[in-house]
Amino acid sequence: MISFELTPQQKQVRDLVHWFAESEMRPISLQADAEHRVPDEWLVKVNRMGISLSTPGSQAHTHESKNGGSKTETLEQREQKKQSNRLSVIAAEEVGWGDPAIALTLPGPGLGGPPILASGTAEQKQRFLSIFTPDEPRWGAYGLTEPGAGSDVAGIRTTARKVDGGYLLNGQKIFITNGQRASWVVVFATIHPEMGRAGHRAFVVEKGTPGFSSPRIAQKMGMRASETAELFFEDCFVPDENLLGGEEAYQARQNGLSGFRVAMATFDTTRPVVAAMAVGIARAAYEYTLDFVRREYPKNGKSYTMACAQLANMRQEIDAARLLTWEAAWMGDLSMPNAKEAAVCKAVAGKMALEICAGCLNLMGPIGLDGHLVEKLYRDVKVYDIFEGTSQIQHLIVARRLYEQVGLRI
Amino acid sequence: MISFRPTAEENRLLQTARDFAREQIRPQARLAEELRQVPQPLLHQASDLGFFLLELPEWMDGLEFPLTTQVQVLEELAYGDLGILQGFPGTADASSFFRLLSENPQIKNSQCSASGCGFGFLDAVSWTSEWGQSLRLERVAHGYELNGHSQPIRLAHQVAGIIACFRDEDGEWLVLLLHQSETPWTVLAGDIRLGLLAAGCGRISFDAVWVPEHAVLARGEEAQLLVEQALSRIYIRQAAAEVGLAKAALDYTVEYTAQRQAFGQPIAQFQGVSFLVADMEMEQRAVHHLVWRAAAATDLGQENAFQYALEAILRSHRAVSFVTNHAVQLLGGHGFVQEYPVEKWMRDAQAQVMLYGCESQFLNQLGERTVSGQNYNRSTLTVK
Repeated sequence: MISFELTPQQKQVRDLVHWFAESEMRPISLQADAEHRVPDEWLVKVNRMGISLSTPGSQAHTHESKNGGSKTETLEQREQKKQSNRLSVIAAEEVGWGDPAIALTLPGPGLGGPPILASGTAEQKQRFLSIFTPDEPRWGAYGLTEPGAGSDVAGIRTTARKVDGGYLLNGQKIFITNGQRASWVVVFATIHPEMGRAGHRAFVVEKGTPGFSSPRIAQKMGMRASETAELFFEDCFVPDENLLGGEEAYQARQNGLSGFRVAMATFDTTRPVVAAMAVGIARAAYEYTLDFVRREYPKNGKSYTMACAQLANMRQEIDAARLLTWEAAWMGDLSMPNAKEAAVCKAVAGKMALEICAGCLNLMGPIGLDGHLVEKLYRDVKVYDIFEGTSQIQHLIVARRLYEQVGLRI
Repeated sequence: MISFRPTAEENRLLQTARDFAREQIRPQARLAEELRQVPQPLLHQASDLGFFLLELPEWMDGLEFPLTTQVQVLEELAYGDLGILQGFPGTADASSFFRLLSENPQIKNSQCSASGCGFGFLDAVSWTSEWGQSLRLERVAHGYELNGHSQPIRLAHQVAGIIACFRDEDGEWLVLLLHQSETPWTVLAGDIRLGLLAAGCGRISFDAVWVPEHAVLARGEEAQLLVEQALSRIYIRQAAAEVGLAKAALDYTVEYTAQRQAFGQPIAQFQGVSFLVADMEMEQRAVHHLVWRAAAATDLGQENAFQYALEAILRSHRAVSFVTNHAVQLLGGHGFVQEYPVEKWMRDAQAQVMLYGCESQFLNQLGERTVSGQNYNRSTLTVK
């Protein structure tokens, strides 16, 4: 049945995460931006509280992933049983509202979680996902982008040469969130560039592996509290047991599993989460500005009327983007193909959030330059139209899916 | 539970609507436009399938479907042709008033059956009353006297009854049920060429006619609430129809641009084309969900249902204009000529947007309530 009501569990998650965002993230938001880092003691504290950035991959050990998906299950049963994608977008909106840069710094597997959950062996899931415990904050990371290959995943040039007992990795990755502090990074490489997508492999490279370094942290326009690293691989030996899914999986499914497919499947899961964070950022800017207009604007005249109309329009845009993220997540929960819907919500939310932050700054006028949260949100939000695939890539994906229906490959 | 899944029963109904829209409505769209009304055989078929009864209450022998079901059906029907859908009497806006009113002998005993000639809806209290019309309602002995011309309304040429919303000279809100036999009117010979030509749009003219006291269905605050709640339902249903039209234009554009060759390849291979098509898809999906959410909130009687309805109609107006305009654009010269359907869809979309409220009106309504924090639905009041 068509419904947009949250279940008691979903409401509980939303309220709990919102409480955390409001009471723990917001108070350090501007300070973390100024210092380009999230305080270590704060990370230790929240890790002890069991808070992490929730992606569907984070639920690796939950009841639903162990028991979900029998063939005789009806859609209705499945949509009630498996909710990790919907819970993730609900939570992501709230942490995005709290502070998007701090959100990406929360301990946990991050974007590295979904590929391990989707493609890793049971042993790999246990080994890499069980390290996230309350005793000490730890991070996972996801290494795909290279200087010459961002959205064009098929163009990656980091190589993986087969040697006795493993692979030697050589190459460079850029723009890797938490890349320096991560305990491990899911790294995509090619066993032969001429093999194209079929040659792609995904590895888990552990921190401290000889030949693996992350020497530089990027200085950015926004998201300054979030660590963005460059990774270098110089004859970096990665053992066979760190090939995601194992060698057998690649050999048994020559036309199926490839590093490329792992990367693409990851996007279908993570794009709705990124979109939900963008919705949260937009909502934060909108709510801040709504309060500003209520307090500061004279309550009559053209300026007030126009501000009211603009704010109303913003709310509608936020609502529309949120519903698109919910749809993509809902499809993910039902294991329905959702590449188009994931791309739609990412493109719409990324663009919308930037426009709303800009619109809010315009409503605030010059005073918005001086110490107001929205200015920071504006700098932060631009990357939501870029990472996890630029808006242009999302358009390409949407268009491809539309034209596939009429038999045209574009 | 967040779910975008129609029920099994809805799916069966939607399949019927889908087949009817594609096999019966779409092929007769041009004919209906030429005739300036829906062909009678098609009307009978639609009536037999129950499509006129979706919103009507059971006490009027209607189906009284929830809005979440209705919006899905209306999307399907409008996919066939919005002009024909707007010419169906039972889908007229007055049915939302009947839905909200409890059993009323005046209506039940009227000459207009639920699925027959239907009722029109004349709104002389919202933004449309501010210009372009000259209606005056004045109190006289045992009733009111009505004078002047209305704005164009749907089905003006077909209906024998009208639900009309007014404010009298004292500013009191009134909802009236007018029967032509009792309160005679004429339809002005207009010159409507833009779109929705099968919907029988025209201006109603009253010449010092008497409106009896018993024609008043609601007055004062009760009337105001009735109008707001009915408009909310009307906006959602009309927004759903716009989603259906947008989907039709999008699908047609995808097919056309996949086949049309330029510079040795399908024009869809050019990103200037395919990216615009992707934007059309995104816009169509965004409004689709807003409409569904507004319908679901209304079915549940939620406090913010009217806000959601305003958001849905605001966005659907933009979406249907955007998508149909770009459908014509991407077909190029072919889009402009009547051998292809998209020029009609663009005209219909514009006429639809003009009939159902303007952007600034919706934004102002939403904006005032957003900033003041006013509730969207005065749920403590009930319509008798």
